[in-house]
Amino acid sequence: MAGVALWLGPRAWAATTPALTFFEIDREDDAVALNYVVDFELAPAVEDALGKGIPLHFMAEVEVLRSRWYWRDRRIAHAVRTWRIVFQPLTSNYRVSFGGLSRTYPSRSEALATITRSGRWRIVEPGQVEPDSHHYLEFRFRLDTSQLPRPIQIGIGGQADWTLEVERTQAFS
Amino acid sequence: MLKATRWAWVVSLVAVTGAALVLAFLLSFATNSPALYERYYLWLFWLNVAVAGLLTLVIVIASARLVVRLRRRKFGSRLLLKLAAIFATVGVIPGVLIYTVSFQFVSRSIETWFDVRVEGALDAGLNLGRATLDARVRELGERTRAAAERLAEAAASPRPLALERLREGLDAQDVAITGPAGQTLAAAGGSATSLLPDRPSQTMLRQARLQRVTSQLEGLDEDNPAAAVSARVRALALIPSREFGLGEQERFLYVTQALPQSLAMNALAVQSAYREYQQRALSRDGLRRMYIGTLTLTLVLAVFTAVLLAALLGNQLARPLLLLAEGVRQVAGGDLGVKPVFASRDELGGLTRAFADMTQQLADARSLVQRSVAQVEGARAELQTILDNLSAGVIVFDSLGRIDITNPGATRILRLPLAAYRLRRLDEVPGLAAFGKAIEQRFELHGANLAAGEQPLWQDSFELAAPDPSHPEHSAGEQRASMTLLVRGAPMPQGARLLVFDDITDVVSAQRNLAWSEVARRLAHEIKNPLTPIQLSAERLQLKLESKLRGADLAMLTRSVGTIVTQVQAMKSLVNEFRDYARLPAAMLVPLDLNALISEVLALYSTAQDAGRLHADLGEGLPTILGDSTQLRQIVHNLVQNALDAVADQVDGRVRINTETSRNARGEPRAVRLQVIDNGPGFAEKVLQRAFEPYVTTKNKGTGLGLAVVKKIADEHGARVRIANLGQASPGLSGAGATHGAQVSLSFSKLAPGNSPAAAAATAVADRAH
Repeated sequence: MAGVALWLGPRAWAATTPALTFFEIDREDDAVALNYVVDFELAPAVEDALGKGIPLHFMAEVEVLRSRWYWRDRRIAHAVRTWRIVFQPLTSNYRVSFGGLSRTYPSRSEALATITRSGRWRIVEPGQVEPDSHHYLEFRFRLDTSQLPRPIQIGIGGQADWTLEVERTQAFS
Repeated sequence: MLKATRWAWVVSLVAVTGAALVLAFLLSFATNSPALYERYYLWLFWLNVAVAGLLTLVIVIASARLVVRLRRRKFGSRLLLKLAAIFATVGVIPGVLIYTVSFQFVSRSIETWFDVRVEGALDAGLNLGRATLDARVRELGERTRAAAERLAEAAASPRPLALERLREGLDAQDVAITGPAGQTLAAAGGSATSLLPDRPSQTMLRQARLQRVTSQLEGLDEDNPAAAVSARVRALALIPSREFGLGEQERFLYVTQALPQSLAMNALAVQSAYREYQQRALSRDGLRRMYIGTLTLTLVLAVFTAVLLAALLGNQLARPLLLLAEGVRQVAGGDLGVKPVFASRDELGGLTRAFADMTQQLADARSLVQRSVAQVEGARAELQTILDNLSAGVIVFDSLGRIDITNPGATRILRLPLAAYRLRRLDEVPGLAAFGKAIEQRFELHGANLAAGEQPLWQDSFELAAPDPSHPEHSAGEQRASMTLLVRGAPMPQGARLLVFDDITDVVSAQRNLAWSEVARRLAHEIKNPLTPIQLSAERLQLKLESKLRGADLAMLTRSVGTIVTQVQAMKSLVNEFRDYARLPAAMLVPLDLNALISEVLALYSTAQDAGRLHADLGEGLPTILGDSTQLRQIVHNLVQNALDAVADQVDGRVRINTETSRNARGEPRAVRLQVIDNGPGFAEKVLQRAFEPYVTTKNKGTGLGLAVVKKIADEHGARVRIANLGQASPGLSGAGATHGAQVSLSFSKLAPGNSPAAAAATAVADRAH
């Protein structure tokens, strides 16, 4: 029963709400690319966890949908980017893994800076967008707590500090 | 019953599944495979919650049903509740106890994992590693700088041999001299396999220019432990230039030193332990919640299972009891039908079986009793039927002398609704006061002082007087003449008394007739003998003295003798009538035609016929009857004469004589009926009862033997005589006299064999000729 209460706790938004300071859909011929900059600060609890060597995962997710009046909107593209950032106390540096690539940064701000921005992220390949149809794009950037070790997940359930999420839906033609 | 069992199975299955899941849970703890456990924790958790929810639902439904049953006071719900409560308590209390202990245990043990000293030791280990590595990096930097300065003092471009010596002196892997952009100018090193040593980064070059020397650690990353083997320290030092010529380009000494593998591995191990510890510390709350949630869930599942099992077990236990109780209630309600048996081998099953047997025996006994009661009833009904159809009257008195049982015969004979006087004394019945008292007296007389062997039975005849007509309780319809009853009394068990009586008025009347005829015969015999001498003497006196007497004496003589003769004659005829009555000759029954006989007799009454006072209406085609013509002639004569006498005083007096054939259902002649009907005053009510007894008459003159003779002759002929007064609606008589009159009818049922009117007529003619 305690477990039930754990999952039904109130969810509040983080004190420092992340913001999309720059968001641009780039049409290059038929392809669609995305440029964005997210501005956020880690909450103290998250910073503490990071400082203790807990790996954090950030996820950017984009969905491109075509509007259809007669049925559910059709998803024509879906792209996900995942970053893993971990502090190495032995060498006092931060290591960011993106896909198969890893880089080490001496400071936290440098490490986070690589995460907060993406440029020319090609989402839709040429030929997928129909010229006459109406399309829109759903963008989501968040701290992925489901990648945390399970006991921590249970421990932080419902805590506002750990909720870091920004969303944007934009239409394009 | 089957349904309940199926339900029990389903619920048990669900409960067992839940328990098994929880066990799997705990097992994953025990086998210490946290990864598996953590991965499936949520899934397991929600599954358990679902199972718990299901069980809750079942329990809620069951409780609601129980409450509804209790509200309706349905039989057995209280017992069920009690049993369920007992079992549930037995199940829940240990569960709660274990839960409490386990809760404490888990909370404490999780806290003990986290120790300040352990944390401190890990921190220290990490710092130690870091300090070691830092010292190595700094040392290599210092030595590289020293080497670079040494190189600056030496020749402009060191020989490869010098570089190799330098590498050995620095205990480095590679040594290289690079240009300002990091390009290798000269190199020496063990990693000769690679054609060119990697170039220093721009950052390093910049730092080296500023600080003359820079050094850093590389490749010690936790995410690829294999790289720890190739962890190394790089140092870059600016080689100072002595000539300040413009053409002189910057040169750097670039040294790469491999980190000892054991050191790198140990440092990484410390780091990973530290990270793990921190992770655990962070997830402390989560862990506790997880463990306690699991415990709680286990408790809930266990408790619910216990409660459900309690309900089921209670049901199982209570069912035979309820079966029994229901059966007892049915038996109390009179239903002795076949009772269900609880099919189990234990004592409860035996109890239900015994109960069913008992009920069966009870039913058998009852049916036996019912059968015997029905037999008794049947016998009684038969007795009652006999009693009802008995012509004799029967009255049973109870021990207090009150009327208990009467039969229709009694009512008919006494002409009183005796049944209405039940539980009253006979002398309280109107009109029977004297009768009742007399009977009471007889019973007491015969009941007391009995001689040995004497039966306490008595028999007596009572003359029951005609009821007082002025008595208000007697309506006109219930009037009765005085009657003679033959009464028999007998005592019955328990002081009851039985009274049987018969109306013997007719018997008495017949006896009287017999006595009269005997008297008449003797009297006639005794009287008739002297009459002839008396008459002869008187006539001789007249013959002798007539010539000797004159005048008044003669007249007196003549008159006296005449008187004597006429009186003797009258007496003779009287005596003859008596004789006729008493000594009617035995009838000689021969076939004869009644109509012919009547016509013959009526010839004597031609004057009356001519005056219209007598009218014959003879039916056609009468069958011949067997009869004595002389006696029948006398009957007709008597009846006609009586009728004429009855109407003699009336101006419009009429007599009608008719004959007819009465036929049975098949149309065959059954009897010949002769009726003589007048419109006179009719018979008095008293006379009607005893009209056939001698000396009962309505006339001023006459012997009163007429109808007695008719009756006697009719008896001889086997004919039935009925006399009646005519009511108002009597047809056939017209005029003012139609409202009343008298009717005498005779039915001759002895018909001549081989009947035909012609033959009868012939016989009659022959008879007459004879």
